Amino acid sequence: MKHCPKCNRPYGDHETFCGIDGGKLVSDAAPVSAAPPQMNTPIVIEAPRVASAPAATDAIERIACEWCHAQNQKTALSCRACGAPLDIRNLVSESGWREAPRIRDMTEIHFGMSTCQVEGEIVPVAELNLGQGDAVFFEHHVLLWKDDHTPMSVMPLQGGVKRALAGMPFIISIAHGPGRIAFSRDATGELVVLPLHPGMELDVREHAFLLASHHINYSYLRIKGLRNILFGGQGMFMDRFVTSDQPGLLLLHGYGNVFERLLQPGESIMIEPGAFLYKDSSVTMNVESQKLTTGFFGGTGMNLARMTGPGRVGIQSMYVHHATD
Amino acid sequence: MGDQKTHTCPWCGLVTDASTLSCPSCGATIDAREVVTESGWAELPGRKDMAKLQFGDSFCQIEGNYVPVADMSLAAQDWVYFAHHVLLWKDPQVTITAMGLKGAWKRLLSGMPLVMTQAQGPGHIAFSRDAPGEMIALPLQPGQAVDVREHLFLVATGNVTYDWFQSNIWFTTRNGNETETHYPLGMFMDRFFTPNAPGLLLLHSAGNAFVRSLAPGQTILVKPTALLFKDPSVQMRLHIERPAGTWSSWRSWGNRYLWLRLYGPGRVAVQSAYTHMEDNGRNITRHSGATEQSWG
Repeated sequence: MKHCPKCNRPYGDHETFCGIDGGKLVSDAAPVSAAPPQMNTPIVIEAPRVASAPAATDAIERIACEWCHAQNQKTALSCRACGAPLDIRNLVSESGWREAPRIRDMTEIHFGMSTCQVEGEIVPVAELNLGQGDAVFFEHHVLLWKDDHTPMSVMPLQGGVKRALAGMPFIISIAHGPGRIAFSRDATGELVVLPLHPGMELDVREHAFLLASHHINYSYLRIKGLRNILFGGQGMFMDRFVTSDQPGLLLLHGYGNVFERLLQPGESIMIEPGAFLYKDSSVTMNVESQKLTTGFFGGTGMNLARMTGPGRVGIQSMYVHHATD
Repeated sequence: MGDQKTHTCPWCGLVTDASTLSCPSCGATIDAREVVTESGWAELPGRKDMAKLQFGDSFCQIEGNYVPVADMSLAAQDWVYFAHHVLLWKDPQVTITAMGLKGAWKRLLSGMPLVMTQAQGPGHIAFSRDAPGEMIALPLQPGQAVDVREHLFLVATGNVTYDWFQSNIWFTTRNGNETETHYPLGMFMDRFFTPNAPGLLLLHSAGNAFVRSLAPGQTILVKPTALLFKDPSVQMRLHIERPAGTWSSWRSWGNRYLWLRLYGPGRVAVQSAYTHMEDNGRNITRHSGATEQSWG
C-alpha cells in the first residue's frame, strides 16, 4: 500500500502519483491497523478503477485535469478528483470564460475514503458513499435521501442570531460515514465540483453550496459597504470555505450553466450581482450603480458588481435577479 | 472548381461553403439534419456549444446548453440594445446608455420594459435569461420584420428597429360590479424590423422551440403563452372552445379552453415551457374578435 506524503491520501500499490496534488506516492512503512479508524487517519482502500493499472514503464504518463489540475492515469476517462471528462477539450469562450465541465451521468469522484457519484444531468444529484471517519456538511434543505443508519449531527456556528436575521442557515447539518446520502437542489443547473487544495480560500454566494467535506473549514464573511449589501445580490454574508493542511471537496450547484474566469492582478469585469457564484478570496467585489434615465419617467437604476483580480470568478447563467430600484 | 460544396442552413437559409462547423449567421450546426415532426413543426436546429455568429464587424458566441449565454464581442462602430435585466456581465469599457421609447405611460401600465438599454462597442458584453431554454438567433434580411411576444426578446443589433403594437387579443370577466380585462397574449407585442442592412435578433425561449410555416389560409390553435414569434403576415384571433360533458353554472368555471388561432401565410414559433395563463374562470362577458366551438 502507498500514500501521498503531501496530503496523506491512501492509494493502492499500483498507483504512482497522487490524484489530487500530483505528489509521488511512497510505500506505507507499517501495515494498516485493524482497529477502528479515527478522523484524518489514512486508511487504505481499493477505490474502483476506471482502467487497468499502468505498467511500471509508462507510470509517468498522466493526464492533468483541465478543470482542477489533478493528475490522472492516462487511461482514465474522467477526473478522479472532480469528475470532469478528460477526453474533451476545455471549452473557453473568446472572452476568456471557461465553461464548467459537464460531468457525465454516473461519474464517480473520490475524496478521502469516500466516493461521490453524480447522477442525472438536468438537475444533478450528488450521491455520497461515505467511508468510516469521513463526514460532509450541508444545508439541510438540499438533502434528497439517505440510508437510515447514516449518522447525522449539527455543526455549531458562531453568530447564529446574525445569520438568522440575514436569512442564512443558522444550522448546518453533518452526515458521518459509513453510509449513503444524496443531495440535490430544486432547479436546473450544474454541479460544480471544486477540489480545494491545502491553503485555499473560496468565497461562495450564500445558499449556493451543496456540500463540503469535513476537512474544509466553514465560516462566513460579512459583506462590507451598504451599497454592496443592498444591491450586491448576496445579502449581508457570503460563505467562506478554507482548507488548512488537508485538501477538501466542495460541491456547489449553479443555476443554468456555470462559467469561470481567471482575472489577472488589477483586471476587472462587471457582472450582474445575481450571477455571482464563487470567487477566490483574493478577488474583490464592489457594486457600482448606473442610472438609466429617459425623460419624464425617470428610468431605472442598474447595479453591476465590479470584480477585480487576481483570482478566479465563477458565474451562473440563470442568475437570481434582484430588484434594481 | 465546379464541385465546390455549398450548404443551405435549414434555419436561416444562409448559403455557405460548408467550411465551418456552424452557420455564421444563426449558429445552427452545419451537419445537423432538419428535424421536423410528423405534424409539421421543425425543431430549433442543434447548436454546438461555443458556436460563433457574425454580425457587422462583431461576433456573438453562444455558450452553455441549459441556460445559454450570448457573449458578444462588439466592434467599435457596432451597438446592441436590450432590456437591462438580461445583462449578465460586461467589460468595464463597454458603455451602456438608456434608449428612449415612445408610449412610456402605456408601456408602464402594461408591464413592458420602460427603458431599453444600449451598449456600444468596442468590448465584450454577455446576456442570458433566468430560465432553462434555448437561444434563438433570427437573422433579419433588409425589409424583413418579425413579431415577438412580450418579454421574450433578449438582444438586437443596432440596425434592427424596435416598435410595438396592441395585440388585440382580450376578454373581460365580471365579478359583481367589477369588470376585469384579460390579455392572454399580453397587451402588446414587440415588432422588430430591418429597413436597410441585415440585422440579428436574439430571443430566449423557455424550454424547447419549434417553428412551422403556415400556408395561406391554413390555421392552427396554440396556447397563447406558448407563442414565441410570428411573421407579421400571420393573423391572430382568440378561439374559445367548450368541451362536451362539462357542467357549467351561471357563473361558469372550467368549461372552456382559450386558444390563440393563427392564420397563414407565414412562420409561427412556439416554446414548450409556456407560462400559466391568467384566467379566473368566470363567464366571459366581452371579448375581442373570436371563433368559438362547442362540443356536444
